[in-house]
Amino acid sequence: MNNIIHTSQLTKSYGKARGVLALDLAVRPGEVFGYLGPNGAGKTTTIRTLLDFIRPTSGSAAVVGLDSRRDSIAIRRRAGYLPGELSLYEGLTGRDFLRYMANLRGGVAWRAVEGLAERLGASLTQPIRTLSHGNKQKLGLVQAFMHQPELLILDEPTQGLDPLVQQEFYRMIAEARAAGRTVFLSSHVLPEVEKTCDRVGIIRGGRLVAVEEVASLKAKALRRLEIRFAASVPPAAFAGLPGVRDLQVENSSLRCTVTGSLDAVIKAAAEFEVLDLTSQEPSLEEIFLAYYA
Amino acid sequence: MLRNIFLKTFYEHRRGLLWWALGLLAYAAMIIGFYPAMDQMPDINQMLEMLPKELMAAFVGGLTDMSSPVGYLNSQIFFLMGPLLLIIFAIGQGSAGLAGEEERGTLDLLLANPVSRARVVAEKLAALITMTLALAAALWAGLAIGAPLVKMEIATGRLIEATLGSALLALVFGVLALALGAATGNRSLSVGVTSALAVGAYRLNAMSAAITALEPYRILSPFHYATGADPLANGLNWVHTVVLAALVVVFAAAALFMFRRRDLAV
Repeated sequence: MNNIIHTSQLTKSYGKARGVLALDLAVRPGEVFGYLGPNGAGKTTTIRTLLDFIRPTSGSAAVVGLDSRRDSIAIRRRAGYLPGELSLYEGLTGRDFLRYMANLRGGVAWRAVEGLAERLGASLTQPIRTLSHGNKQKLGLVQAFMHQPELLILDEPTQGLDPLVQQEFYRMIAEARAAGRTVFLSSHVLPEVEKTCDRVGIIRGGRLVAVEEVASLKAKALRRLEIRFAASVPPAAFAGLPGVRDLQVENSSLRCTVTGSLDAVIKAAAEFEVLDLTSQEPSLEEIFLAYYA
Repeated sequence: MLRNIFLKTFYEHRRGLLWWALGLLAYAAMIIGFYPAMDQMPDINQMLEMLPKELMAAFVGGLTDMSSPVGYLNSQIFFLMGPLLLIIFAIGQGSAGLAGEEERGTLDLLLANPVSRARVVAEKLAALITMTLALAAALWAGLAIGAPLVKMEIATGRLIEATLGSALLALVFGVLALALGAATGNRSLSVGVTSALAVGAYRLNAMSAAITALEPYRILSPFHYATGADPLANGLNWVHTVVLAALVVVFAAAALFMFRRRDLAV
C-alpha cells in the first residue's frame, strides 16, 4: 500500500540547531497521524518541507504519491494546510479572506465555506485585525477544510481555540477520517493527540524517536496524583499498590506517580475521607524522559 | 476584487493609491498654478545664470531655462520631483510585494493554494507596474488639465512621453526593490538599498551636468536615460527607453529566479 506521506532520509539543516535529520516518516492513507514533539523539535520544518516552502538539504519526500519538489502544485491542490504561525491579511474581513483563498484554489463550493464557518463560529464580517487569536485560527481551519482535501496537514491546529470549538474541531477530524481522508497534525500536547489520532510519531531534536499506535501509548500513560485527606493516613495503606511509583505520604497528603489505571489507588484512598484529588498529565518532556531518553 | 493576487493587491492598497493619485494631481495643479507668476518674471533666467552652476546642478542638472513651459515643467517636475514621488511609491510597493508578505507571515497561506511561486512574482509585478502607471496618469492628468487653464502651451503628446519616462524610471527602482525583497525576504533591506541607489543615481546624473570629471559616468545612472534627452522637448529617446525597459526586465527576471530557488521564511 502506498503511503500518503513518505519521507526518505529527509534532512534539513540550518547551520547548527533546528532542522530535521534523516527522517523516515510514513503516513498511511485514511489514518489520523499525530506528529508530536516539543516546540523547536522540527515539526514545522518537516511540514514546510512537505509543501515545498523550504527545500531538503538531502533526502526526499513524497506526498499523495508525488514528489514534493517537482509536483508541489499538484500536491497543494490535493492537500489542505493550516500554518503553525498563522498570519492572515489583517485588512480584510473574514469573508473576504476566505473568498480570496477560495478563488486562488478554484472549485470551492461557497456553501461549504459558510457551513464550516458556522460550525466553528467564525466571524466573517469583522476586519481580521479586530479578531482574537482563536477567531483567526477558526478562519485558518475553514480554509484548510473548505475544499475537502484528501490530505489535511495541520500545524498545531488547536492553538488558541476555546474548549467548545476544540470539540467541534475533533468532530471534524473524525468526520474526515470516516470519509477516508488522511490527517497529519502536529502538536506538543499529548492528550490532544491521544484523543484524535490513530498513530503518533514522536520527534525530538530533529529526529523521529518513535512511532506508536495511540493504544500502546495509552498503556504507558503516566499520571501524577495528589490527594488531600481530612486526617493523616498510614503510608502502609498505599505501599506496594500496582503501578504506583514515587510514593510520598506526609501527614494528610499523598503524592505519587501512577502508570496505567488509577483504580488501585482510588480504591485504597476511598477508605479515608478525601478532601481533594488532583491528577495531572505529565508534560511531554517527562514522557520523553521516562520512555524515549 | 479578490479573484487573484493582482486584483487583491489593488484592493488592499485602494485607499493609499487614491491618496497618492490625489496628491500627485494636487501637486501638478499647484505647479501649473504658479506658472503665470514665473512667466511674468523674464529676468528669472538671468538670475539663475548668476548662481554657482554646481549648486544649480544639484537641483536641476543642466537646466537654465525656467520661463518657457518646457523649462519650467522640467525644473519643477520632470527633472526631480515627478520621478522622485513615483520612485518613492514604486519602492514602497516593490518591497511590500513579496518581502512584505513574507515578513508578515501571510506567504505560507498564499502558497498553500495551488499557485506557483512564479505566478506570485508575476502578479505582484503586474500590480506594481499598473499602480505606478496609474499614478503617472494622475500626474499627467493634473498637468494636461491645468495647462490650458493658465494658457501654458505644451504639447499633450510630449507631456505623455515625459510622464512615461518618469514612470519607467520609477519602475526600474520599484522592480529592483521587488527583486531584493524576493532574494532576501527582508523589506527594510530592500527599501534601504534601493533608496540609497536611487539617491546616488540622481546625484550622479545631476552633478555630472556641472562637473566634467563625472561626465563619463553619467551613463551609469538610470536618471540619465529618463531625463537626459529631455523627453518633454524632444519626445522619448528610443535607445534610452530601451535601456530603462531592459533594466526592468533584468530585475524582474532576477526576482523570479531568486524567489523560486529560495527557502521561504515562516
